[in-house]
Amino acid sequence: MISAGIDAGSRSIKVVLFDTEQACLVASGIVDQGVEQQRLAEALFERCLAQAQLERAAVGACVATGYGRNAIAFADTAITEITCHARGVYHGAPDARAIVEIGGQDSKVILIETGGRVRDFSMNDRCAAGSGRFLEVVAGRLGIALAAFGELSRASRTPALISSMCVVFAETEIIGLLADGQAPADIAAGVQAAIAARVAALAGRKLMAPILFTGGVALVPGMASALEQALAQPVRVAPEPLLTGAIGAALLAAERRRATSPPTADR
Amino acid sequence: MSESLGDAPRKLGLDAWDQRYAALRQAGLSEPEYGGPLGRHVFERGDLRLRHLEFDNSAAALRLWNFLLTENERLRQARTRGEKIVGTMKDLGTVPVMAYALPRVRAFYPDGAWWTPCLMECSDGLLQQADLQGIDGSFCPVRALLPAFETEAHFPQPDWLVCSTGAVCDDFTAIAQRLERLGHPICWWEMPRRRSPDPGEPACTLPGGGLAPAVQVQWVRDELERVRAGLSGLVGQPLTDEQLRDGIREANRVRRLLGALREAAHGAPSAPLPALELLVAEMLTLHFCSDRDETVAVLAELLVEVQTRCAQGHAVLAANAVRVYWVNPVADLRVLNRLEEWGGRVCGSDYMFTHALDLIPETLPPLEALARTALADPMVGPTADRAERIVAECRAWGAEALVVARIPGASHCAREGAIIREEVRAKVGLPTIDLEIPPVCDAMLPTLDSRLQALLEAARARRST
Repeated sequence: MISAGIDAGSRSIKVVLFDTEQACLVASGIVDQGVEQQRLAEALFERCLAQAQLERAAVGACVATGYGRNAIAFADTAITEITCHARGVYHGAPDARAIVEIGGQDSKVILIETGGRVRDFSMNDRCAAGSGRFLEVVAGRLGIALAAFGELSRASRTPALISSMCVVFAETEIIGLLADGQAPADIAAGVQAAIAARVAALAGRKLMAPILFTGGVALVPGMASALEQALAQPVRVAPEPLLTGAIGAALLAAERRRATSPPTADR
Repeated sequence: MSESLGDAPRKLGLDAWDQRYAALRQAGLSEPEYGGPLGRHVFERGDLRLRHLEFDNSAAALRLWNFLLTENERLRQARTRGEKIVGTMKDLGTVPVMAYALPRVRAFYPDGAWWTPCLMECSDGLLQQADLQGIDGSFCPVRALLPAFETEAHFPQPDWLVCSTGAVCDDFTAIAQRLERLGHPICWWEMPRRRSPDPGEPACTLPGGGLAPAVQVQWVRDELERVRAGLSGLVGQPLTDEQLRDGIREANRVRRLLGALREAAHGAPSAPLPALELLVAEMLTLHFCSDRDETVAVLAELLVEVQTRCAQGHAVLAANAVRVYWVNPVADLRVLNRLEEWGGRVCGSDYMFTHALDLIPETLPPLEALARTALADPMVGPTADRAERIVAECRAWGAEALVVARIPGASHCAREGAIIREEVRAKVGLPTIDLEIPPVCDAMLPTLDSRLQALLEAARARRST
């Protein structure tokens, strides 16, 4: 069966089509988030179908997740990103016991147990200081593209100490650091350390390993090692970290479909 | 009553309730003097939040809400009749037992004014006025009491003010001190921080099963003796042990009724009453909503409704609703509706005053009994003690998940939520979340919904294995 997962995140929409028999992705796509979420998601979904040379009728089940999940009317149901990330990570890394997910506007620490079930979770969705938004703001202030931000941080010799707990004030602090002649690379590394520290505080205590890192921020070079330092534990970037939620949604869609379908002779 | 009209238990919005009210009246509903349609509280008193809530459809629930929402009128009527009004602050449940032991005395909690901005969607301006008085949003929403004292638009000026201090949060102490500086004298009594007895140290058993050093119980007893003297001075006659014993017996009547209600509601396989009504019912034990006898009548009717529903196998929520233990009251009542909307039910609660639910010992000297009750307050001892009780109740009620609610600015224990969650996670293995809920949470509903939904999803997933 082909199942679809739509992750309507705060910064981008991700769609995957998943072949449950072959246990592999048959198509995926990403588009920037916008006001017309439903239309954007549907257009991306159609693109993915075309990419896989499938008709819409071939998709047996569809689950939406992410911050905009309830706006995706063509999905069969909506499931939170907590559950979907856990399922998506379990698919690629069944040994995972903790997930750190840093997205565009929030961050989460999810504890999972055998079978990929969520054991517990903590979430920061009230403060941008622990999210990808912080990176965007600082990249803008430094006048570089977000994609180059991580590379820049790698050149740091002495990461700057960002003391502020708030993105708005941190921006002011960064202006001061730049005025003092601090190297942009050190500021970039300092910001990554500050985000990692916020996430480590969210985790609260030593996490059970292995720890998998998902979400768009996992793709930023240097963030995983900043996280490792803050958590004092090894951190693995999940396969396809940007798509983890959508993959989990597709897998859950298929499981729900199987659970509700009447038994057939070949099952 | 609801069954007699052929209506199954369900939740109704305000407009639907007012239609139902008309039908109930036509069918012969008899009401106390504070009765009437719920919608009037919006139009007459500005309780705008009611428009966004869903209520249980029973006549017993209507009476409960009307009783709650007419308290200020009740206090004003009492004042007109020349009764004495005691403003008791912070202790939550102990001093009112003493005050109501006296004839023609009513006690209420001015700190309960923190609900006013929540119910009135901040249209009352209390929080803004508190800002202007220098007590801003970094303080507990109890700060709403300061302008409420000044404007007298909500409750009448008490004849006497009494406030516990010591093992209370810094915010509250600061706000109460500011109140005194504004010209409202306060009788302060000190509550020590409860500790475990040292090895070999004489100790007393507290209601709820905890222990406290005898020396602390004696201390609180002496402090309550001062409160007794103050109350006696207020009415010009001594508050006797006999009156206190009667007062304790009456308070225990309320607590027994509430205990039976909790037992019936939480123990039922399907929820016979929504969480909001259960929260309001629990709050009645604090100071009897300024009418102790009526509190008994309101709770008794609610209990009958719940027992009837249980006996008939009726429920107000789906049978497979996830059983959630809820910690701390919510600033915005709407959140409890949302939990139920997403498929949860509250199956147990610690709204910060569990000591006011426990029976006060009737065989001890009355002040000794009250001192032990006051010391059992979950907020005056280590959070670990509170967590232990929560763990026990989670087990007893078969909770599948735990929510710790927080109120912005309320700082009784910065680590409270984390400690409780860790204990519950470690000992019962439940998924947990904390929710920060402001007085009006509309702008935060998407994130609050996500957390609640994720919690319920996690709990449901655990059922399948």
